[in-house]
Amino acid sequence: MSATGTCEYQAKDYKSDLKPIWCPGCGDFSVVQGIYRALAAVGRPPHEIAFVSGIGCSSRIPGYTTAYGFNSVHGRALPIAQGIKLANPDLLVLAAGGDGDGFSIGGGHIAHLIRRNMDITYIVMDNQIYGLTKGQLSPTSQKGRITCTSRYGSLEEPVNPLLYVLAYGAGFVAQASPTDLAGMASTIEAAIRYPGFAFVNIQSPCVTYGEEAQQIKGLKAISETLDSLGHNPADRLAAMDLAQQYGEKLHLGVFYRNPEPPPTYGDLVKERQAALSKDALPKERILDLFIKK
Amino acid sequence: MAVQGIDFANLSLMDALDLAILIEDEAQERYEDFAAQMEQHRTPEAAKFFRYMVENEAKHARELTARRIHRFGDAPRTVTRAMIFDVEAPDYDAARAFMSPRKAMEAALAAELKAHAFFVSSLPTLKDPEVRALFEDLRDEELEHQQLVQAELYKLRPETGLSDDDFVDEPTAQ
Repeated sequence: MSATGTCEYQAKDYKSDLKPIWCPGCGDFSVVQGIYRALAAVGRPPHEIAFVSGIGCSSRIPGYTTAYGFNSVHGRALPIAQGIKLANPDLLVLAAGGDGDGFSIGGGHIAHLIRRNMDITYIVMDNQIYGLTKGQLSPTSQKGRITCTSRYGSLEEPVNPLLYVLAYGAGFVAQASPTDLAGMASTIEAAIRYPGFAFVNIQSPCVTYGEEAQQIKGLKAISETLDSLGHNPADRLAAMDLAQQYGEKLHLGVFYRNPEPPPTYGDLVKERQAALSKDALPKERILDLFIKK
Repeated sequence: MAVQGIDFANLSLMDALDLAILIEDEAQERYEDFAAQMEQHRTPEAAKFFRYMVENEAKHARELTARRIHRFGDAPRTVTRAMIFDVEAPDYDAARAFMSPRKAMEAALAAELKAHAFFVSSLPTLKDPEVRALFEDLRDEELEHQQLVQAELYKLRPETGLSDDDFVDEPTAQ
């Protein structure tokens, strides 16, 4: 018998008493299980974790964990998560939301967290629809998709979330799906352990407004693990090549992990503080000067 | 992948019993979740059936726990829940809002078939005769569970010919 090692925390330690109110069959039920398992594997106690979300079905997720949670403002999960991380760098900070929250109203924020290499794990539950507001086109809806806001089919090309973050230079980019809970848990765990901005796109089916091809059976039919393709996650260009198949193939696993992660923004702030504090006046002296003025 | 990090060839009887208990625990928890979902979505008949499955899984877990304590007392467990993934628990996507009791029972039946397949596929890899015997028992118990669910299915009235989709409204803009 070989054990993978005993954990101080178990998945159930991260499960709150609040019962999810998602539609039965929603992919997000598996996602939250994957997050519980990943957090247990990482082993940080719930009080050392902050979980921030935007608005949408998937953004309810922090409430279903025992971590500190903030179900915040539409599209603003990332700036709020960034503020929390800067204020308390010791916290493990996760951000989550849907594809609409992340790549429409909140799309502008992603680039800035990537260029700063904020040590935050961002989990997007990508269902290609606005589910909470009853099925409108979202930024990842496929061209031609018929919804209540595109009666004759969408005229727009979808955003490719994987290429989007790879192009901005994210150090960790992965994809998971409820079709493989074990893979999803280990992918989220790897993202959390990455020192810097980590992005996980999770193809999470909407059972109420999603199309047949986007349900678990349809996703299974197009899924294959990146490991089985022999993909080297240190190869960014190969990752970009594979990411172009978003929407046609469901590649599961780590697309890209920077083998030499640059310093995080938090590290650089600490360095700057240390450098400037050498010649800085004592706090009491600053106050005196301020009062005299 | 149903389990991770378990070496079946060298599985001890104690670990095998712990694995079986955790499989029942996972299924019990999933049925509790399903029952809560159905209650939230005003689907009391399906919820009642899932509560029935909660009791069944809990009963099996208690029986296995009694066997484990009888043979091994409170020796520390090395198998953890982190190693198992939906072995006997129905898949999350098996639940649907307003599902009929028949659909609920079919979801449970699919889960029992999945568990049976797990024990059948594990048997050839087992070396310890006691563990083999336990897995054969567990395999046969899964067949009994299937019969239990099928018995509930037979009690239902015949299908009306309507599907769940007949009751779904088209998406509308707000």
